[in-house]
Amino acid sequence: MDKTKNAKRYHPAYLLVELFGFLRNSFFFILFLFILNYDVTEGWVYWAKYVFLVAAAFTIGKIFLSWWLNTYEITPASITLREGVFVKKVRTIAFDRVQNKKTATTFIHNWFGLTSLTLETGTASEDASVRFPVLKRQEADEIVRVIESGTSNVLLTAVSEDKEEMEIETTAPVKTERREYFRSTKKDTLRAAFTSLSFLAIFPILLALYFQIDDFFSIEDEAENAVFFFVDHLWLLAPLFIAAILISSVIGYVQTTIRYGNYRIEADSDRIYISRGVGQVHTFTIKRNKVQAIQIEQPLLKRVWGIVEIKLISAEALSVGEGPATNSLYPFMKTKDAYRLLNELLPQYTVQDQLQRLPRNTIWLKVLRPYYFTAIALVALWIFQPGILWVAGIVFLLSLGSRLFEYFFTRYAIEGDSIQIRTGGFTTTTFITRRERIQEIKVSQSRLQRAFGVGSLGFTNRAKPIHVSSIQDVPDGLRHDFKHWFVQRKVKFE
Amino acid sequence: MEYILKEPERQISTKIIKIWRTTNTIGHGSFLLVFGALLAASHYWDWYNWVNITLYILIGITVLSAIFSIFFEPVFIQRTWRYDVDENFIQLKHGRWNVEHTIIPMAKIEYVTTDQGPFLRKAGLYSLKIGTTASNHTIPAIPEEEALALRAQIASYANVKEDDSLG
Repeated sequence: MDKTKNAKRYHPAYLLVELFGFLRNSFFFILFLFILNYDVTEGWVYWAKYVFLVAAAFTIGKIFLSWWLNTYEITPASITLREGVFVKKVRTIAFDRVQNKKTATTFIHNWFGLTSLTLETGTASEDASVRFPVLKRQEADEIVRVIESGTSNVLLTAVSEDKEEMEIETTAPVKTERREYFRSTKKDTLRAAFTSLSFLAIFPILLALYFQIDDFFSIEDEAENAVFFFVDHLWLLAPLFIAAILISSVIGYVQTTIRYGNYRIEADSDRIYISRGVGQVHTFTIKRNKVQAIQIEQPLLKRVWGIVEIKLISAEALSVGEGPATNSLYPFMKTKDAYRLLNELLPQYTVQDQLQRLPRNTIWLKVLRPYYFTAIALVALWIFQPGILWVAGIVFLLSLGSRLFEYFFTRYAIEGDSIQIRTGGFTTTTFITRRERIQEIKVSQSRLQRAFGVGSLGFTNRAKPIHVSSIQDVPDGLRHDFKHWFVQRKVKFE
Repeated sequence: MEYILKEPERQISTKIIKIWRTTNTIGHGSFLLVFGALLAASHYWDWYNWVNITLYILIGITVLSAIFSIFFEPVFIQRTWRYDVDENFIQLKHGRWNVEHTIIPMAKIEYVTTDQGPFLRKAGLYSLKIGTTASNHTIPAIPEEEALALRAQIASYANVKEDDSLG
């Protein structure tokens, strides 16, 4: 395929975005090699500096060459990308294969009125997604609009050759209006900052700082004096501590705002649109009927606070690139609000409240199972660190606690077309899916389970990677019912 | 009308027992050789003592595992393996102490292949591999004619296209 005159190079801000990305990724190398060890001129550190410089020169050269050589071309029904410095690659992606769209706008993008756009197709190969590192906002909007309106009824005209923008006329199919379902408030962000414990983030930084300064001034000796000083003047310590907590709370709040601030969930009849972030805006779009399952995660702390994170599982990769995945409905939502929202957005995945517990005798089964991890820890410690053999005791108590929690918190329900299971000890995971979304099932029973009259269920959903859910120690009857329930999916008789 | 799931009944060939005994002997034997070589090296070059301990433990485990998987396991697996295919589902069931029963809807099946290694060829057997979007499964040791017929049957049943976007 030859380049046509419509093939375009990326906006020059590409260079800035990529260079900044390179700097950020190699931040720790630079910090270690050129700041912490700036005066080292021998040994491996010295060589590492050279290796880094060569690699950096190579990467930077590649960034410039890529900008020069990579082009993209948008036609009414597809996008063609030409990329590669050493290995040339031409990719064409038809719009009707695109399933998810994501945008990420960093502050550099913001300066130039740009954004980055990732289109994800449903295939499993490494070429499954297309990423435009920089795109003009309007251009990105146009692409998204073309994809969303369906390609069949799009009339696309490049108005004039030299004009870069295209005008698109669409006769969009009838769609209900896009409506906002959730917008995070300051209060939500505050709660998010608090529950994510980001206010503790300052302590590692302080510690790192301390060790750095220590190298220069050898505080150790002084510190001992300082400790005595503080012990004598305990009242001095309290305000210092409060100041540290305050500073870190502010930092945590700012961090959380950048990441989760201005969180919005919108939807129309087809799709759910999620966007988040202040300064760096990430957006994510998913078709409602592509949601394979719902996953609700609750670590111990969130359970105490009554907060849940609802994730939408779909067959496409969701967490490519940096940062937390955007496939979750707000990760710090009050349980009740979250369930109500879920009910509005995806009525086919209602959270059931009539749930079954595990049979009472299975608590013994859970406690009796061999403690492999503890055994390995015990043997390893005995050989390598006999002095701290007691750590194995802690490992044992943790696994015992986890098992007890698992007994108390495990729940299940099969109702109509949907199945819901909740498993896990310290962090519980609720998984809700529908019969026709399940790829295959597996029921099993170990010898020990047979003695207790229980067994395990497992089922597989499409996701990336494949999602296998399982629940252990459910009654024998349910094992049979589950099989029976599953085979009542769409079957044909002749 | 309700669909009634029948327990799977078809069995795999008994010839597989001998084949599994052979392959497991080869597998465990080569592990023992590697560990033995490492142990010799360790003594020769005076490596750390914990290397020796670890190697002795590994050799012990391998010997125990070899006894189990050469003399006992092949018989159990062959005796307990059941499978069945109808126009809606493929069922696989196996295991004596840990019984596993897998049910795969025909509509989710993407490919089906027959494989034959040198040992299977000598015994005139095939293994049947079934792939879905989620995973793949193998039915070991089916006599040639049966295997080829089964492959054709699954392929024709699985040709039913299902619209995944409903619901």
